[in-house]
Order: sequence, then C-alpha cells, then structure tokens
Amino acid sequence: MNLRIVRAIAAVTLREFWRSPDAVFWTYGFPLLMAVVLGYAFHGQAPEPLPVAVVDGPAAEALAERLRGSERLRVEVLPAEAADRALARGRVALLLRGDAAAPVLRNDPSRPDAELARLLAERELRPPAERAPPIAVEVEDRPGSRYIDWLIPGLIGLNLLGAGMWGIGFNLVHLRTQRLLRRLIVTPMRPREFLLGFLLGRGILVVPEATVIALFGVLLWGVPFRGSVLAFALLVLVGGFAFMGLGCLLAARPRTIEAIAGLTNLCQLPMWLLGGVFFSNERFDGWLAGLVEAVPLTHVNRALRDVMLEPAGVADVLLPLGLLAAFGGLCFALAVRWFRWT
Amino acid sequence: MTGGDLAIELRGLRKTWRGAGWRGGGKVTVAVDGLDLDVRRGEVFGLLGPNGAGKTTTVEICEGLTVPDGGSVTVLGRRWGGGDDQALRQRLGVCLQESKFHEKATVRETLRLFASFYPGGRAIDEVLALVSLQEKADARQSALSGGQRQRLAVATALLGRPELLFLDEPTTGLDPQSRRQLWDVVRGFRRDGGTVVLTTHYMDEAQQLCDRVAIVDHGKVIALGTPVELIRSLGAEHCIDVDVEPGALGARVTAADLQALPGVQQCECDGARASLTVASVHRALPAMLELLAARGVPLRGLATRHATLEDVFVRLTGRHLRDEGAQ
Ligand SMILES: Nc1ncnc2c1ncn2[C@@H]1O[C@H](COP(=O)(O)OP(=O)(O)O)[C@@H](O)[C@H]1O
Ligand SMILES: [Mg+2]
Repeated sequence: MNLRIVRAIAAVTLREFWRSPDAVFWTYGFPLLMAVVLGYAFHGQAPEPLPVAVVDGPAAEALAERLRGSERLRVEVLPAEAADRALARGRVALLLRGDAAAPVLRNDPSRPDAELARLLAERELRPPAERAPPIAVEVEDRPGSRYIDWLIPGLIGLNLLGAGMWGIGFNLVHLRTQRLLRRLIVTPMRPREFLLGFLLGRGILVVPEATVIALFGVLLWGVPFRGSVLAFALLVLVGGFAFMGLGCLLAARPRTIEAIAGLTNLCQLPMWLLGGVFFSNERFDGWLAGLVEAVPLTHVNRALRDVMLEPAGVADVLLPLGLLAAFGGLCFALAVRWFRWT
Repeated sequence: MTGGDLAIELRGLRKTWRGAGWRGGGKVTVAVDGLDLDVRRGEVFGLLGPNGAGKTTTVEICEGLTVPDGGSVTVLGRRWGGGDDQALRQRLGVCLQESKFHEKATVRETLRLFASFYPGGRAIDEVLALVSLQEKADARQSALSGGQRQRLAVATALLGRPELLFLDEPTTGLDPQSRRQLWDVVRGFRRDGGTVVLTTHYMDEAQQLCDRVAIVDHGKVIALGTPVELIRSLGAEHCIDVDVEPGALGARVTAADLQALPGVQQCECDGARASLTVASVHRALPAMLELLAARGVPLRGLATRHATLEDVFVRLTGRHLRDEGAQ
C-alpha cells in the first residue's frame, strides 16, 4: 500500500466534492434542512386532535356534540358517502353512525391512531358516572426523552448511510461511466489504493456532517449530549466506514447509473424501515426482529442514542464498533476483489 | 520468451465482444481475429485502419486493460497476470481513446495525481513544457479545448518516463496545429529512445509519423511494412484522379478501358471520378487524355499526386479508410 497514492486520490476526491456547489448542498444543506423541518414538526407540541366523522342523519348532531366533549377529537358531520371515503383514505381515524344511545363505530384497527380514536370516542359516549376515576397523567417532556431527542441521532445515522450509498456508491459508478477509472487502472496504482483513497476523501466529510446535525439538535432544541465525545466521533467514523464499504461493494460491478440507483434503493429501503430512524424498531418480534438486528443502521442508531441520550462511553459501544468495523472491512475487501474498472 | 529487441509480441490474438442488452445479447462482434504483430524497440509503430477495425481492442489488450479470448501477449518481455503487473505498468505510458480526468481538477492537479503513481518520474513543469500547456496549468479540465485535453492526456502518459507509449487515436478531432504539436511530442519521445504504438485512421499521420505501419481491417493485419514499402507494393507510386461528367464512366469509358492504358496498374471508379494508380505519369497521362477525347468524354477535373497509404488500403479492401458507413 503506497500512502502517497492514497493521499493523492483522497485529495483529488475531496477537491472534486468541494468544487461542486450542488454536491455540497445535497450533502450538508439538505440534511440540515430536514433536521430543522422535522425538528419543528415534532418538537414539544400538544398532539394534534384525531379526526373522526359522524354520518349525517337525524341524531348526528347530538352524537357529534357528545364527542366534542373530548379535546383530543376533532369531529365533523359528513354525508354517508363522503364519510366512507374519508375513512378509506385515512383522513379520519374513526366513523360513527346512529345515535348516542346505540352508536355503531367503524375503523381499520391496523391504521395508526384508529384504536386510540375508538377508545376516546367510547369514553365520551359513556355516562359520566361510568367513566374511570381520574388518573394522574404526567407528560414526558424532560430533555432526553422527547421524540426530537430520539430523532436527532437517527438523522445522523441516516446521513452516514446516505454518505456511503450516494457519496461513495453512486460516485464510483459515475467515474466508471465517465471512463475515468479505466485511465487510472492502467497506471501502477493498485485497486486497493484507489478505493481506500476515494473512501478517505469522501469519508472525511462525515465528521463535520454529523457534528453539524448534532450541534443543531443540541443548540436549537436542547437535545442532550450526555456521553463521551470520543465515542461519538468513533461511531461516526466507524459507522461511516461501514456504509462506505457497503457503497464500494454495491458499486463494484454496475456499469450504469440506473443499476447503481436501483441497488442503492434496494439496500436503503429496508434500512430506512428497519433501522430505527423515524420510528422505533425495538418492538418488532419474530423474524422481523432478526432482520432489525441484521441491519447495520440499527447498530449505528442504537449506539448513537446511547452516547447522546445516556452517558455511554467508548467501552459501552465497543461491541457495535467492532461489528460495524468488521462489516465495513468485509464489504471493502469484497469490493476490491470484484471491482470492475471498465 | 522473446529477444530483447521486441517491445511487443502478439501471437494469434483474438477477442470477441458480446453486445449488451436484451436484443444485443445475441450479437457477437469479432474485434480481433487471429492477429500477429511484432513491435520493435525504439520505433514508432502505427496501427492504421478504419473505425471498428479492432485497433482500440488490440492496444487495450497490450495495455492489460482487456483480457483476450485467445493468443499470447508479451509486452516488454512480460505477460499480464504474471504477478507483477504493477512493475510492468511502471514502464508504460498510456493515452486511451477519449480518456477523461477529474472535471474540476486543474491541469496541474491532474498531473500531480498521476505523478504520485510514478516515483522518480518527470517533474510536472517539465511535462507541461513538453506538451506546451504551461499557460493552462491552472485551468480546470472543463475549461480546456479538445486539443488541450488531448495534450494533457499525453502529458499524463509521459510523466512516468515510460519505455513504451500507447497513443490511441491521439489526434482525432484536433485542429491541424494541435496535430502538429502532438506529432512533435511523439518524435521527441522517440528521439530519446522510446517506443510508440499509435493507432490512427488518418493515413497522413501514419505516413509522416510511423517507422512501420500495420494496416488493420476486421481484426486482422492485412499489410505490414514501412510507409514507403507499403506504397511501393502498389507497384506504382503516383495517382491520377480524373473527374468526368456523371454517367460517362461505365458507359462511354469503362474501368477496363482505363486499366488497359500503358503504365496503369489499377483503376478505381467511383461515380464521376476515376482514380488511376500509375507507375509513370508521363506515359499514362497522354494515353488517357487521348482515350477520353476519342470517346467524347469531356474532362471536368484532373489531378496527379503521390500514392498514399489510403490508396494501399483501397487496393486491399476496395473501401476507403474513412468510410462514413463503417460503424
Ligand atoms: N466494449 C465493447 N463491447 C462491445 N463491442 C465492442 C466493445 N469495444 C469494441 N467493440 C466492437 O469491436 C469492434 C472493434 O472496435 P475497436 O477495437 O474499438 O475498433 P477501432 O479502435 O479500430 O475503431 C467494433 O465493431 C466495436 O463495435
Ligand atoms: Mg478506436
């Protein structure tokens, strides 16, 4: 391994990035924008009331009035057909017909909030005497336990994933279609020197990227940072390496942008769904739970959350660090082996 | 193995390409079809042939970029895949057909990257001067003209002080001045003892620049020799091109009539133009004029010139080097 070559490849790769304003925007601007927008959308507000529909009829108004007793429900009276459509499209979580004495409730329990809307409606329809005695409910709003606190580490993980898949995978195939790789490989440069240099040139970017998102979370929404900064940095680097290795592997063979875009989506979609970015993946069971553990993003996100939200140090994240490094190393080695230059 | 005087030795080389895609899946192109070739050290060797003749495939096999389906390749006494490809690459300079570099890198940055591959290579300013790109040293790739890009490509090939330089269509699409500049670079490289393998479909380039030329068609060498030898093989070193009115050729005067004239070796008729390859202009020309006058065919144009490699190609294949139809 000639380090002079690795350094030269890294330098030219990094420069190529810096000099492309659009690449800089989509790498830094867009994720930040996403963090800000999502942050505002989810940070510390009272939950939106759930929409329910009452089918128009002689007793409809009386029924609607009873339901309006709950501030968690937003009630509208609709003609039968419109109400049906609203339920089918998910615009309302629950549909009621009949009168307050013997109403019929209809919902699709597999939709989010459908059952919650039903319980709230049932409670309102009971005579006041039959309602459960008052129970004290506390709102969890301490820093570290809110959705935004949970979301920010996930967004960092998501960015690392994007850096590997698009920053590495997509760009490598682009260089192949540009016929630049074939020019490079007829020099004494070795395949592993090129791939490592490329990885370093792009990989160095994940550190500022992750730092910026974390800083935004901490400064704007008071997301806590309780663990070790070193552990965080290591996770970002090693997690980034894992996804960049994967990016190299995906880019090893494809000759067209379409092929790498397809492969990238194929890999990214399960990670988005199972990796625990926007919603928790800790409650799956059976084979899905197994899949969750098989997805590298799960380990990145879980460890990042441990470091930011709980006072985890380097020792606490050694296992995920090891797993991710091994995964990245394996992908990288296979990529070097199978890489196509023409 | 080979004697030390051969830079490249190709024996029975074959390469077949299989088209990509659904429909093209079945289409097979024989790009190189049992090709034998020796390139001597210290010469400028030209592969001359029309588009699609297999020139690029052949040199890319020599460069170790393409793996042949059959045959043997020896480059500077070594074979590809023998475990020390890197050491061999250290001794080669390559300028691919249409090579691209990083779009946003400047000329100097591109050269700095390539310089990192060749310890003990030339200084960047030295190669910049060799290809006369000093003024453009800080211009980005995207701001270079076609000729400047091509000279940059040659500069990257020269950085490592190669023994053997591959140039694949180095002057295609260049203006005459840029072509001359590149030719000078090639001559200088050869003067310093280097070996050059060059592909081209310009007969004048092959004629002026190459010590020896292999004429390639359909993946085979169909003629080999110095430009002078190849032209002499026509048995005639001059050409007479005559333009007559359309319809006269083949009707009032036939190719056979012209070919029967004294001193005429060969006659190619193409529409309203006849090209005669002749051994002695002073005998053939008066006879031809006489014949045309006797048959009542008025002349529209007349030119005599030295025979070229193009005429050799036409003689061998019946086609022109730059047939628009070819590929
Ligand atoms: N990568 C490839 N895939 C499929 N066909 C190819 C490929 N490269 C070359 N060919 C075909 O092989 C033939 C020879 O091509 P090439 O070696 O590029 O000729 P030349 O350089 O003389 O123009 C052509 O018919 C061309 O279409
Ligand atoms: Mg070619």
